[in-house]
Amino acid sequence: MWPKEFDYVRASSVDDAIQQTSDNTDAKILAGGHSLLPAMKLRLSEPGKLVDISRLADLKGISANGTLSIGAMSTHAEIAASADVQQYCASLATACGMVGDHQVRNFGTLGGNIAHADPASDPPTVLVAAGATIHIKRSRGERSVSAEDFFIDLFTTDLEDGEVITRIEVPNLSGHKAAYVKMPHPASRYAIVGVAVILEMDGDTCKSARVAVGGATVSAMRASGAESALSGSSLDDAALNAAASAVQSDISDALMGDVSYPESYRQAMSGVYLKRAVKAALG
Amino acid sequence: MENFAVGKPTPLLDGQAKVSGQTRYVGDLKMRGMLHARLVVSVYAHANVKRIDTSEALAVSGVHSVITAADLPYVTPSSRNKLMLARDRVLFVGHPIAVVLAETEAAAADAAEKVHIDYEPLAAVVTMDEAMAEDAPIIWPTGVPSGAGDEGAHGADVGGDEKGTDKKTHSNIADVAQSSRGDVEKALAEADLILEHTYTTPMVHQSSIETQGVMAQPDSITGGVTMWVSTQTPFGIRNDVAGVIGVPESDVRVHAAPVGGAFGAKFGLYEPLVALLAKAVGRTVRLILTRNEELLTTNPAPPMRVDAKIGLKTDGTLTAIDIHVTLDSGIYPSGLGSFSAYMMTSFYPVSNYRTIATNVVTNKQSDGAYRAPTAPTVIFVLDTLLDEAAEKLGINPLELKMKNCAKPGDLLANDKPWPKMGMQETIEQVKAHPLWQKRNNGKAKGHGIGMAVGGWMGGIEPGAAVCKLNRDGILQVQTGSADLTGVHTVFGQLAAEAFGIAPDKVRVVYSDTDSAPYAGGVGGSKTLYTMGSAVVRAAQEARKQVLEIAAEEFEAAVDDLEIVDGKVQVKGVPEKTIELGAIASKAMTFGGKYPPIHANGRQAITAQSPGFAAQIAEVAVDEETGEVRVVNLVIIQDVGKAINPLIVEGQIQGGAVQGIGWALYEQMHYDESGQLLSGSWMDYTVPDAVQAAPLETILIEIPSDAGPFGAKGVGEPPVIPTAAAIANAIADATGARLTDLPMTAPRVLQALTDKSS
Ligand SMILES: Cc1cc2nc3c(=O)[nH]c(=O)nc-3n(C[C@H](O)[C@H](O)[C@H](O)COP(=O)(O)OP(=O)(O)OC[C@H]3O[C@@H](n4cnc5c(N)ncnc54)[C@H](O)[C@@H]3O)c2cc1C
Repeated sequence: MWPKEFDYVRASSVDDAIQQTSDNTDAKILAGGHSLLPAMKLRLSEPGKLVDISRLADLKGISANGTLSIGAMSTHAEIAASADVQQYCASLATACGMVGDHQVRNFGTLGGNIAHADPASDPPTVLVAAGATIHIKRSRGERSVSAEDFFIDLFTTDLEDGEVITRIEVPNLSGHKAAYVKMPHPASRYAIVGVAVILEMDGDTCKSARVAVGGATVSAMRASGAESALSGSSLDDAALNAAASAVQSDISDALMGDVSYPESYRQAMSGVYLKRAVKAALG
Repeated sequence: MENFAVGKPTPLLDGQAKVSGQTRYVGDLKMRGMLHARLVVSVYAHANVKRIDTSEALAVSGVHSVITAADLPYVTPSSRNKLMLARDRVLFVGHPIAVVLAETEAAAADAAEKVHIDYEPLAAVVTMDEAMAEDAPIIWPTGVPSGAGDEGAHGADVGGDEKGTDKKTHSNIADVAQSSRGDVEKALAEADLILEHTYTTPMVHQSSIETQGVMAQPDSITGGVTMWVSTQTPFGIRNDVAGVIGVPESDVRVHAAPVGGAFGAKFGLYEPLVALLAKAVGRTVRLILTRNEELLTTNPAPPMRVDAKIGLKTDGTLTAIDIHVTLDSGIYPSGLGSFSAYMMTSFYPVSNYRTIATNVVTNKQSDGAYRAPTAPTVIFVLDTLLDEAAEKLGINPLELKMKNCAKPGDLLANDKPWPKMGMQETIEQVKAHPLWQKRNNGKAKGHGIGMAVGGWMGGIEPGAAVCKLNRDGILQVQTGSADLTGVHTVFGQLAAEAFGIAPDKVRVVYSDTDSAPYAGGVGGSKTLYTMGSAVVRAAQEARKQVLEIAAEEFEAAVDDLEIVDGKVQVKGVPEKTIELGAIASKAMTFGGKYPPIHANGRQAITAQSPGFAAQIAEVAVDEETGEVRVVNLVIIQDVGKAINPLIVEGQIQGGAVQGIGWALYEQMHYDESGQLLSGSWMDYTVPDAVQAAPLETILIEIPSDAGPFGAKGVGEPPVIPTAAAIANAIADATGARLTDLPMTAPRVLQALTDKSS
């Protein structure tokens, strides 16, 4: 498989990358290339120019200073192995550790993953549940958007041409019980359904819950019905069953399926995986 | 005397080259002036092609030409010449319409997108039921083409009762074959238990890692071509290509390039087309399919439906089999339906049977051979039916299968006797295995254990081999068998043993169709069995020639000589020796008096040696999701004689993992309009390390009469019973009996829901 002919340039700075992609709408940012290059080889994407940001030091590194800041060019493997991520939002490390295989995790980046917004991706689900913030740079300056508002639809985000994701900010959730679980597609290992839960516990009672679903839906999304079913409960079987049915209605307008794993199956599995996520969070 | 080469685990001769990237596949070969071919394929399942506009494509820099059917000689459509360029009408999504020839792959790909085709879409028949409907659009208005023989090419014994075959005209039913014995109606009426289900198994793709690859270089003087092909059957390709391009087969020379997987898919497909292209432009042309094309436009295993009814007595005796097989062979018929019916009524011989096999054509890519064609379906149906019958009759399923299974001398469906074989012995091994014994005692919660057994008749085909002795004392073995599944490694072991020389002193060389003696295609579990015998004979003959020279040198009798450590010596007199290399030298020198060592071995074994495999599967079923995980898979196979246990075990393990694919994952999906939905490995699940189970292989050796050292075919059997064993294990775990493959998580979940409601 051969992509259309294209130009390749290495950006000298984030601003340079912004400039090169703003001036030319036919240009695309290249990060790890693990989503973009396959799409180009299949000719689903035919950019005339790739602007490589993979060597920009500004976009790299993970730091934890009250909140967790993950440079857009951090690879899945780096995130999965980071002690800071483990401490602040361990379920993000779990999700990144579940992405694809070793090669994909060593090359694919968090920035590329969320910009691509494959509905079956893993990290977006955790970012939505965690209330993460996406920091974006553009020629007119910087802006930020919540993960929840960032993911709009299949392969569609709030990102505009000429914008570069610089970092992803995640609140400190170290006091919470959290988990991400997924049912992997046997062929691609992408999520058939993925569920992230973040629980604030007060003894045996769940004070508040944040729940997000991906894989089964057109984009990662909050499941507010499930959140209310869990919040204030002791997370007993009755509460879990209520949350499992609530999550299925939460996502009913946004379902996505394929011929092997139809919408109805994924919807049912969101309930099963919600329960599994809560159990995993409680350890 | 104990064997010193045969029976020894010996690593693959080409293993090092393969893992270190030295092996040169067709995709690695380049010729001066070579053009790259890229297909332009139909996006409709059925349409008239009104106009092909190539002007924009021709303008792409680096493009040499765009070839359509109008540029090529007319070729009668047939199952063997299935992939020619469409002429006026396309018959499936993926049907090649034009080919771009360009100086680079990239230019060819760019231009292929710029060939514009005006279609007039026609009603398509996508499923077997649509094809058979009263008012179905007819795919072949002038009659369904014939001339199949995929099952023949695969070395299967079609057998069956062909006299009942009814060829339909003006219909999408290619043929209906009927066969019977005894009185099925009466036997069913008298049965104590009748089971009746409809089973379906899907289109499954062979999916080898290396896609189809063909390169052809035209010879402007003879009009013939020289070809380098990823193929199982160089001599078959020579014949097919010569027929299509209209030259004597001696003007076509075929080199079998190293093969990166085939599994039945490489018995000839694009070779005649590429040969025509090369001749048309007078330049070397190479076509390497992309993965997407590989899935879209090759020759996968056919979808099948089996309406099955069996009758038994309370003591578990099987008294009747009533089967209707419907096989959807895509646009060309294959005849695999009647072959499957034949197997259905042979493995469990029964006094009363009736089979109907209907072969249907549809607007989808044509079917072909995939490892043990149709046998996984046959055993899925038969074995799960018997398993269920055992449960209903309160009999241990293993005992019921043992009681009814074919034994040597029992009747095949065609009333001929089963030859020597070990179906029963493999079942006996299951009984003794600790995993099977755990079935009623000590299973983990949610786990189930099932067993199944299946086999393959074993292919045959004449073939010959050559052995030569070089001056360095190396024995050279030459054959025209493509090297799949390690056959060359095994040929080396056989030659070493038969000649009496260390295996590392043997070189096995593949020769093309001009220089090698005839060899059949590598497939149908027949190469070691047949070609191996030819190699043994050639090596024995070479040994005789060597000893005759030594006898003259020593003035001794041939019978008094032996070969020890690469030297000929008088028996028991190690002082008197002559190196093998020295003997060869005497026969390869100016003024020499001995003829060179050059030995032929030929065979035309006609006896088949069926091979059987029994499997025990332990599964864990997730009752909330329907996911099935194979926890353990034990494969017990009668291999006659394991010439190379490493390769035999590798073959068996690979087959069993493909069986897991059949059981749980693999299915080519088409939508109502005939579009392929599983056109990439992101959607089509080929099982890999994550899905493969821990495998235990147990070899049993019931020697064949005709194979070398008692060996028999091992390639097909291991894929055959896996789906049935897993289905039986799921039933053991959950009580649910599934009748559709693959048993995906949604289907298993549905079956569990249906059972509990
Ligand atoms: C075999 C395989 C299996 C996979 N399995 C999984 C899986 O199980 N789960 C999962 O979640 N994902 C999976 N992935 C996807 C993987 O996570 C993504 O490919 C990867 O994260 C994308 O990152 P990248 O750096 O390679 O992005 P690229 O491919 O370089 O870019 C992707 C897109 O994002 C844009 N982009 C990249 N960086 C930025 C930025 N900083 N600002 C703005 N736009 C940007 C690019 O222009 C492009 O449009 C798999 C991929 C492969 C190839």
